[in-house]
Amino acid sequence: MEKSQSIITTKSLNLWYGEKQALTDITMDVERNHVTALIGPSGCGKSTLIRVFNRMNDLIDSCRIGGSVLIDGEEIYSPSADVVAIRRKVGMVFQKPNPFPKTIYENVAYGPRIHGITEKKDLDRIVEESLQNAALWNEVKDRLQDPATGLSGGQQQRLCIARCLAVEPDIILMDEPCSALDPIATAKIENLIDILKRSYTVVIVTHNMQQAARVSDFTGFMYLGKLIEFEETTRIFEKPREELTANYVTGRFG
Amino acid sequence: MVHSPGHVSNPGPDMHNPQATCPPPAHPSRSGILPFPRSLGKEEAIHALLFFASIAAIVSVLFILAYLFLEAAPIFPLAGIGNFITGGTWDPTGIPPEYGTLPLIAGTILVTLGAMVIAIPLSLGCAVFTAEIASPRTRSVLKPAIELLAGIPSVVYGFFGLVILTEVLRVTFDLGSGLTWIAGSILLAIMALPTITSVSEDAIRAVPREFREGSLAVGATRWQTMSRVVIPSAFSGITAAIILGAGRALGETMAVLMVTGNAAIIPAPITNIFSPVRTLTATLGIEMGEVASGSAHYHALFGVAFLLLAITLLVNMAATVVIGRIRSGPLPVARRRTDGSIPFRNRIARAMKGIFSKLRLPAIAILGALVLLAIGLSAGHVAAGAILVATAALIQLRRKVSPRIAEKIAFSLLTGATLLVVLILGVILWNIVANGLPAISWGFLTGVPRDLGRSGGIFPAIVGTLYLVAGAIGIALPVGIGAAIYLVEYTREGRLVRLIRTGVDLLNGTPSIVFGLFGFAFLVLSLRTGVSLLAGQVTLGLMVLPTIVRTTEEALKCVPQGLREGSLALGATRWQTVSRVVLPPAMPGVLTGAILAVGRAAGETAPIMFTAVVFSQRFLPASLLDPVMALPYHLFVLATNVPGARTNQYGTALVLLAVVIGIYSIAIFLRNHFQKTVRW
Repeated sequence: MEKSQSIITTKSLNLWYGEKQALTDITMDVERNHVTALIGPSGCGKSTLIRVFNRMNDLIDSCRIGGSVLIDGEEIYSPSADVVAIRRKVGMVFQKPNPFPKTIYENVAYGPRIHGITEKKDLDRIVEESLQNAALWNEVKDRLQDPATGLSGGQQQRLCIARCLAVEPDIILMDEPCSALDPIATAKIENLIDILKRSYTVVIVTHNMQQAARVSDFTGFMYLGKLIEFEETTRIFEKPREELTANYVTGRFG
Repeated sequence: MVHSPGHVSNPGPDMHNPQATCPPPAHPSRSGILPFPRSLGKEEAIHALLFFASIAAIVSVLFILAYLFLEAAPIFPLAGIGNFITGGTWDPTGIPPEYGTLPLIAGTILVTLGAMVIAIPLSLGCAVFTAEIASPRTRSVLKPAIELLAGIPSVVYGFFGLVILTEVLRVTFDLGSGLTWIAGSILLAIMALPTITSVSEDAIRAVPREFREGSLAVGATRWQTMSRVVIPSAFSGITAAIILGAGRALGETMAVLMVTGNAAIIPAPITNIFSPVRTLTATLGIEMGEVASGSAHYHALFGVAFLLLAITLLVNMAATVVIGRIRSGPLPVARRRTDGSIPFRNRIARAMKGIFSKLRLPAIAILGALVLLAIGLSAGHVAAGAILVATAALIQLRRKVSPRIAEKIAFSLLTGATLLVVLILGVILWNIVANGLPAISWGFLTGVPRDLGRSGGIFPAIVGTLYLVAGAIGIALPVGIGAAIYLVEYTREGRLVRLIRTGVDLLNGTPSIVFGLFGFAFLVLSLRTGVSLLAGQVTLGLMVLPTIVRTTEEALKCVPQGLREGSLALGATRWQTVSRVVLPPAMPGVLTGAILAVGRAAGETAPIMFTAVVFSQRFLPASLLDPVMALPYHLFVLATNVPGARTNQYGTALVLLAVVIGIYSIAIFLRNHFQKTVRW
């Protein structure tokens, strides 16, 4: 392999919201072209951690961060880092679908447009490809000019995925992408993740352990801001090293 | 069960994973790297531009405050601070001059208090009726109608008060003159009604539906639900509404000046509602034009403005404290319930407990004040008896009568309040329109005034008002919107931003006559612009600047954070995010604010009275340094100084009303239109 196997590396990552420490000493490597799941009880820091990877925590005033986060070997928190370029490379799908109050077409075309694509032909192609890759094309191809807010929750979330795919990131972060969706919509998104991992690196936060078991190659279990165990998914669920992990995945707490 | 954070295994490449070495298959396709042009220079230029807009806004805010204070300062050692505030005689032109502002402070407080006693029950009744009882169709007529009335210029109210209200009072109570405290209070109450009603109604509607359902589900009547769950939940919003209304009453100049008689005396006895009074604002309005720059009297007027500012600040701070205490309580006012939160019933219980423990003190204070005033009034005359009986009846109602009958009584009281409000406002509008229409003709609209305005037209006044408004908006809109964008989108919520916001808020609540004083002293006298179009435009622009900053800020903050994150997560720059994702949905809010500012600028008299206008002019201004005519001032002078001009008074009032209400209608239409189309 020309590129190293791990695409995201954190070393001794600590994060505080004001006085409260939200992440403690996280050290991990995320594998390229695999799905990595982060599980753990509510408030354990999963979402905080995933938002470190595209510097979304910059938007929170009281947030301070220590340690090192490398993406493709580059320190993303160095003063010279270009946060816009990082976010272009590291896409994100949020917990609650957040389509812009624009048409379906404009939602997907938004990313390419801001990155300088103006040709209608190119935009049409990117929109169609992205919607196809997000498994939404067949449902919306006849109403691309309708407002995106009129779609169902599951469709909105796939639209957000399409919007993310349209800028061709290397990594896709998913912050509990199915928590607001029904089981059928959830199944569609899970299938999609399975396909996406062939070309993208996916990091997904979920509080649904079955989902982690179904979609991920590697799983990290977090508790009280610490990464307790990070292993192959089968191993986490079948032979966890830590008792705390075992208790959680067998449903004894959480 | 010990977990060392370092104890984390690395899923290394030694593990067998066939896909790790597979080349990505054709699907999903990746069509190659996107181009990546980023014009950083543009981004920075915009940042700088917005920064300068906010600096301009902040500097002008701080400058006005500092200027007022510095010009006021000399009077305090001259008259003595204690004497200035507690002295019983205001006679700055007497020999020796006396600078005791106590009668003015008393006048201001009494007129405002009286207005609130009348306005609060009426407007709350109207708000509850509109929000909770009225059918959607009734509501869709009632709500915009009431909001429109908030836009009627104060000089029009003053005109109505002078011609009708004071006459009614004089005849009914057989007084020597109808120019009294009670006339001022009634007029101010009518002016505050729309504000209080509209804002309280919003607060009541913002109470989550779950609260109502929870109460109805345990078998409460609609009235019980309203009085015990909905209204307490909306308490912070209702308080804000009342304080906004009080602020409007406190700062009003033209209307009170026209109907209170303006004698600088403390009513004797203090409850004599038929005594003339003089407010702080009216003092500025009357004396500002005749004062010599730099004289003791001049500084004393700045001292009066300073007092006015201090009282406004006190009221606003009280509002902030009350609302802050309620917000910090356990009740998530007007916030949607999120999943997995505390069970509903607990939340209600906690909310109610919190509200009542926090409510007790202010409630007792307010009730006490009301009772005192009621007793005072009954000692004087009428009305209070009815208030006392009604209050007692309401208290009894809760205890003895069955919930169903209580509901009936309460609903009829609420309906009665609403009808009364509609009736009052209808009478005013009808009076102006019916008497004004005969004056309207092509000649009136396009001609110049003759015979001191008794005949001829008002064309120069119409054009002058348009010039003034266009200039004011041209100054305030770019600066205000730029500053708001900078404050919301480019800064972190730190101490400095809070300080700036406090300054903006302070100026936002500042009575318009204070801007007039500033414009007169600084622009007209110090900068020697003379009474001119330019001075009026700048003064009006400064007056509406805080409003534009605040409404734009609010509109921007209403855009969900998720949209910003969604855009930034795609690698959009800040300006790309602001211009393409945040501003489009915020535009209706920004526009509404701007249009309301236009309406306000068009209807204000006090800020232009000494900076820009002359009463009669045959020609249109040839340059920015020429004085102009303006509709509100023309009406003011016609109504107060020109006997026998009744027809043209009504004609001018009607034109002014039409201009301002037209502007407000556009704003209300725009807002309702976009509220329907923009959804998250």
